[in-house]
Amino acid sequence: MTHHTTRRGALGTLAAGAGAASLPLWARFAEAQTSEPIKIGFQQHRTGIGAAYGRWYGRTTEAAVKLINEDGGINGRMVEIVAEDDGTDPKRGAELIEKFATQLNTDVAFGTLFSHVVIGSAPRAGELKLPYFVVSEGHHVASGMLNRYTLQPGITDVKSQVQSMAPYVARKLGKKVTMIFPDFAFGHDHRDFFTAAIEAEGGEVLAQIAIPPAETSFTKYFPKIPRDTEVLYHVMVGPAVLTFVKELGEFFGPSRPEMFGFIDSLEAVSISSPGLEYLEGTYFWEGNPRHAHPEQTEYDKFFRAAVGVDDRGASISDPSDVSTYSHMFGCWETLYVIKAGMEAAGYRGPADRAALIEAVEAMTDMPASREHPQGAKLFNGKTHQVFGHQNITRVEDGTLNHVHTTSIEDTLYPDEADYTTQSF
Amino acid sequence: MRLIWAGLIWVIWAGAPRAHVAEQGFVLLLPTDVYIGAGVASVALTVILLIFLPKRWGRACFRPFTLVALPRPPVRHLTSLLSALGLVALVGAGLFGTRDPLANPLPLFVWVVWWMAAVSLQGLIWDHWRWTNPWTGPAALLTRVTGARAPLRYPSRLGVAPGLIGFMAFAGFLLADPAPADPGRLAVIVGAYWLANLGAVLLFGPRWLLRAEAISMLMRLYGRMAMIGRHRGRLALGLPGWQILVRRPLPSGLGLLALILLGSGSFDGLNDTFWWLTVIGINPLEFPGRSAVITQTLVGLLVSNAALLLVFCASIRLGLMLSGSGVALRDALRTFAPSILPIALGYHIAHFLTNFLVDGQFVIKAARAALGLEDIRVTAGFLSTPGTVKVIWLTQAGAVVTGHVIAILVAHALALRLFGGTRRAVLSQAPLAIFMIAYTFFGLWLLASPRGM
Repeated sequence: MTHHTTRRGALGTLAAGAGAASLPLWARFAEAQTSEPIKIGFQQHRTGIGAAYGRWYGRTTEAAVKLINEDGGINGRMVEIVAEDDGTDPKRGAELIEKFATQLNTDVAFGTLFSHVVIGSAPRAGELKLPYFVVSEGHHVASGMLNRYTLQPGITDVKSQVQSMAPYVARKLGKKVTMIFPDFAFGHDHRDFFTAAIEAEGGEVLAQIAIPPAETSFTKYFPKIPRDTEVLYHVMVGPAVLTFVKELGEFFGPSRPEMFGFIDSLEAVSISSPGLEYLEGTYFWEGNPRHAHPEQTEYDKFFRAAVGVDDRGASISDPSDVSTYSHMFGCWETLYVIKAGMEAAGYRGPADRAALIEAVEAMTDMPASREHPQGAKLFNGKTHQVFGHQNITRVEDGTLNHVHTTSIEDTLYPDEADYTTQSF
Repeated sequence: MRLIWAGLIWVIWAGAPRAHVAEQGFVLLLPTDVYIGAGVASVALTVILLIFLPKRWGRACFRPFTLVALPRPPVRHLTSLLSALGLVALVGAGLFGTRDPLANPLPLFVWVVWWMAAVSLQGLIWDHWRWTNPWTGPAALLTRVTGARAPLRYPSRLGVAPGLIGFMAFAGFLLADPAPADPGRLAVIVGAYWLANLGAVLLFGPRWLLRAEAISMLMRLYGRMAMIGRHRGRLALGLPGWQILVRRPLPSGLGLLALILLGSGSFDGLNDTFWWLTVIGINPLEFPGRSAVITQTLVGLLVSNAALLLVFCASIRLGLMLSGSGVALRDALRTFAPSILPIALGYHIAHFLTNFLVDGQFVIKAARAALGLEDIRVTAGFLSTPGTVKVIWLTQAGAVVTGHVIAILVAHALALRLFGGTRRAVLSQAPLAIFMIAYTFFGLWLLASPRGM
């Protein structure tokens, strides 16, 4: 290790980076045309179960890089995305990290969504000392199970998302909650975490109904829902989600409890699809509200236009092609964090990778801006995890109407790790 | 330690809810039970009709309409050479072009243009492989230039075994390899396969392509299903399958490939269903990636093929017993194996239709990029729209049912030829017909099943 970097050193270079960024535009372009590009290895779910998400993550990434380059690139150098398919497969993901680091010589790796791919790839990124910017919303980064080279600065983690829903649910929808979730780790996490959060709000979980993952009909589980349930919290996933909604409608008819769910299972699905009518009047968590609302910021408007998405979160070239709007902003924001980090660190090449990590670790407030169109963020350098506002929408006439935005404080929880104590 | 546990608890968080669920979600809402019943009934009805219809009708439906007399222009080797040049260019693109499997011309060509579309075209419309195969032209050219004749004789005791093994290897690669669309990996495999077989053709002569080269064997088989063919020197058009009845019987053993095509195609449909994933102990809502199930997939592929072969042989054997005919099992198998082809083709079309509709757009996108035309946006919106999902599903189901109906008709016509009388033909066909009706149910069930990959 020839290049030793300290936090102070990184902060020192921050000023230098700011200096580079303040060069006249023509000078930045002149430099950009003569320098080697900054290469960002994009670990893309091009094939496999993540492909539908991969397509939108790809579009968002393209749009952000186009803007960054039009604006002079990073430290005066153009940004080049080196996209490689990981097949949504952890083993291939790890191989890809190695390829980025040793063959393709990318400066950083970026863009992974699926948690099992992140968990399979991160150890390799740590060994090869390749900064690895993930966009998976998993809690694995903040939990401390990964390493100093893995960061999640562009999307909030699910622990904070679930936790921040409890106050609204308890105060507005009801305190007696029944949870329906698939019977494996994903559902168990919701069960455990939301149960704790709602109890902290003075509510209680009346029943926890676990559905076997391979189940495709749910009618037989509904009689287990206690009669005095005020809120039904549902996190069903997979192809049977629509059947779940339909059968729920058949079971309850018009006199149902309030319903609250996570949009994840209906990402890329039009909420006004036939079969989803029963969701009318129910509530959803959304990372970034799919349907533009009256308080829409100019940044959200700008983001939609740049990515090519209309006011209903669908492709402008095909209104039936609904985007993964709640998550894909994470790619955009992560790229701008990489840009800011590289500029702060005066990043010149792989020798400055540790300085880049320190520069990102030094970040805290990220104001709402074109760089952060989903809203303001607060980065925790110790846990390598960003925190931000969460949204709740209500389905009204087939539109997801925005009803609540949480504070960032609602999403915070005590640190579970301190990556800055790990050496490079 | 606490941190490790905390981490483990959250391990699979985002893994579950990501798959594009809309299409399957809408399929699960369709009254597929009713459709499956109707499909199975249509096939069963075909069987019953054949019992009562006069003998000549069975044959008449496969009589082709002869069209114009069309000389075959002697450009077969030239087009084959062009095809080989195209292949070399594609391999080059695979090695040196973009790493994106949905933008690189090689995987797009091999899996979308060739495997999904050109194979279907070969089986449905006409035998283009005669002109497009990339070996005959280069082999003819090399033979002419060097003046050397094939120095070795293909060992006839091997029969078609090398080709069958080759196809199993192809199916294994398609289904079990972690990255069959990776441009570099595919380029090495395609390039090596083409070169090795070109060498073998030069060593053993063109016979190699008929006995040992799986792709040509597969295309030759499907060519027999095509509606357009040649009959008595003229271009002819008939019901799919007419060429199986009219043209010379295929070499013994090639029929086996028809069964392997169906067995492998069926497993391709089965291996991502919730049912199969549960059998191999995988939670269908958190598929761990292809590299985690390589062994299970290969075993499943082999077992599926073995099971299909066994059931098919048992059906034929039982049929021979029922009809009291003295026909040897081996001859009966050889006669009836091609009747499986329409089913295999129906499966192929049904299975890849959805992929083709999405990936075909990537082909157009890549072609437009190569030609410098304006970019297009690939859309999967039609998979999130119930109306189009229904149309697609019914088209797939239609392909499966039609394949079975034609298979029943072909098998019946073949039986009439082998046994003479209708009664004997019907008796001999009864177990095979029951097998085909059951397989219709299986095929439609596959289409309606939730999938986890």
